[in-house]
Amino acid sequence: MDKNEASILGGITLDKGAFASVRDTEGWEVACKRDKIIDGRNQRMKVTLKAALVCTTAMFATAAAAETMTIGITQNNVGVDSYQTTYERAFIAAAEANPDVEAVVLDAGGDVARQIAQMEDLIQQEVDAIIIWPTNGEAVIPAVRKAHNAGIPVIVTNSNIAEQGFDFVASFSGPDNITQGARAAEIMCDKFKDMGIEAEARVVQISGQPGYTTAIERQKGFDDRLPEVCPNVTLVETQPGDWNREKSQQVMEAFLVKYDDIDGVYAGDDNMGVGALNAAKAAGREGIIFVGATNFAVGYDAMAAGDYWGSIYQSPVDDAEAALKTAIDILNGEELPFLNYFDTPKITQDNMDEFTKPVF
Amino acid sequence: MAGMTKQGIGSILAKQGILIAFAIFMIGFALANQRFIAIDNISGVIRSSAILGVMALGVTFVVIGGNFDLSVGSMMSFSTIVVLDLHDKLGPALAIPAMFAMTMALGAFIGFLVGYMKLNSLIVTLGMLSAIHGLTLTWSGGKNMDIADKAGTWFSIFGQGRILGVPVPILIFLGLAIILGIVLARTPFGRKVYAVGGNGQAATFSGIPRARIVFLTYVLSAFCVAVAGLLQASRSLGSQNTVGQGMELQVLAAVILGGASLMGGSGTIFKTVIGVLILGFIQNGLLLMGLAFYVQYVVTWGIIILAVWLDVAAKRGRLWSPTA
Repeated sequence: MDKNEASILGGITLDKGAFASVRDTEGWEVACKRDKIIDGRNQRMKVTLKAALVCTTAMFATAAAAETMTIGITQNNVGVDSYQTTYERAFIAAAEANPDVEAVVLDAGGDVARQIAQMEDLIQQEVDAIIIWPTNGEAVIPAVRKAHNAGIPVIVTNSNIAEQGFDFVASFSGPDNITQGARAAEIMCDKFKDMGIEAEARVVQISGQPGYTTAIERQKGFDDRLPEVCPNVTLVETQPGDWNREKSQQVMEAFLVKYDDIDGVYAGDDNMGVGALNAAKAAGREGIIFVGATNFAVGYDAMAAGDYWGSIYQSPVDDAEAALKTAIDILNGEELPFLNYFDTPKITQDNMDEFTKPVF
Repeated sequence: MAGMTKQGIGSILAKQGILIAFAIFMIGFALANQRFIAIDNISGVIRSSAILGVMALGVTFVVIGGNFDLSVGSMMSFSTIVVLDLHDKLGPALAIPAMFAMTMALGAFIGFLVGYMKLNSLIVTLGMLSAIHGLTLTWSGGKNMDIADKAGTWFSIFGQGRILGVPVPILIFLGLAIILGIVLARTPFGRKVYAVGGNGQAATFSGIPRARIVFLTYVLSAFCVAVAGLLQASRSLGSQNTVGQGMELQVLAAVILGGASLMGGSGTIFKTVIGVLILGFIQNGLLLMGLAFYVQYVVTWGIIILAVWLDVAAKRGRLWSPTA
């Protein structure tokens, strides 16, 4: 395929240091000028900030190396939350820092149809590997299969696709939610041991939205690990807080009415953990140990204030870098586990200085 | 009650079927777990129902006027996020009126489309549900919004404060219910809302400005949403963008549970309050019973249907009606 033709087909194509053309899914074309040369067919310009970023990345990559790998990524919904925004920035930075990588950065805006179209664009462009952050774990499977059949390895990032699509996926890169739950149990147990109440402590759990894999896994990790490390601690009840601070607060209020003796609360994320903390504060119940999973800024602040004991640190920067590294390793022919998790360390009041405050 | 005849009591019961249902549930839950009727628990449930309740008061007007409002959930997210964001930028004294103005402007826009443009309220408010959600995300950039100095602001009074031992949200909810109850039942405006919802054409022919009345019901509903957003923001002093998501249906359920007709023209504020309390106490009662939560969804709706049935059965004096 001729490079100019490719530029019309869409995505980004790079001519050895001449120009880069980006067409996003809306059909806008963006030409990035490098040195003095502009391709004649790409006069129509509409530069969005994101496209401009992609151009910079792409040009940087071309300038640096002769033998490069082109890695396309289609993200879920950048801009909908700070996690995804930070993820994209980190991904672009990591791709820029690596002279062997050309990145084609796309965003599906939360729209499954658009993500499938982007997958097809990337296949058309014959990129070397595709990273996908699925907008929907089921609906994207046909597009993933198409890429797989075209000989392009697909790496799933952050949240996995449904199991029937696993055959077409080279590797999954993301957080291990079972480990997050298990580590939360360890944080809770260690704290009880410090307090000397590991023989009698009673714990309630506020889980994420029922039916969500993340919620189920974080609960399972906690449920399985707690009796291993602290066999005499009782988990008295689990109820869902739906990832919602207000709902979690209501659930905790009911727990406080129902149980006179609660020593610890485990919440599926810090947002719910802080909701539970608010309920305990309002009821004047003190001395309860709060542990969450996925540290949010609000949880970090509550930790700094001494109200909240610990959580699990999941960084969007680590998430993005792990995805890129997984793609590069696959292209270099390295053997990787199918589920290639990045590390999510424990964070408590004791070691929080080692971590920066989360951006979300 | 002493001088009242048997028939008199019977007709009161028939009118208040929903109260009977409410009493039955309360007794049932209290038998299942005696902590259910602890003062702390009851005040806790009413306090957390207050947010839903305040929204339901406004929607009662819209529904009686013959229209839907499905936008209240995402509008509540909007007002919560806006007031939290402006709190740190302008200070609470300016943030609150600014948020009220913006929320009521949204309500006025919907009221204009439904009232003066005569567009279908289901479509308009369904569209606004997602449009306002987008507006909220644009405002916040998707981020959770939190007040920086949580300890040092008087803003928390609305959601967390107490006056004479009674939580402020309860006072606001009940106070607003009394005022709006009087407005609906005892003022010309209230009677016009019934007239417009009962028979719009007849109302127009009797010289009632249908468009303006509908417009005003949406502004009133938006005002209630702004109050709910204020309570929500003040209660947790921080929020995610989806805080009100899905509440529009709970609000509608509470209003219908209270006996307002979806066709318009009937319903009262008092019964809406009972509807709100039933929803709140069911949720709390099931939690206290420790029922597995997958089952709770089913049971909640089972109970709601049971309540509606008891209400209808009491009205017609028979448990079921195969013919009419």
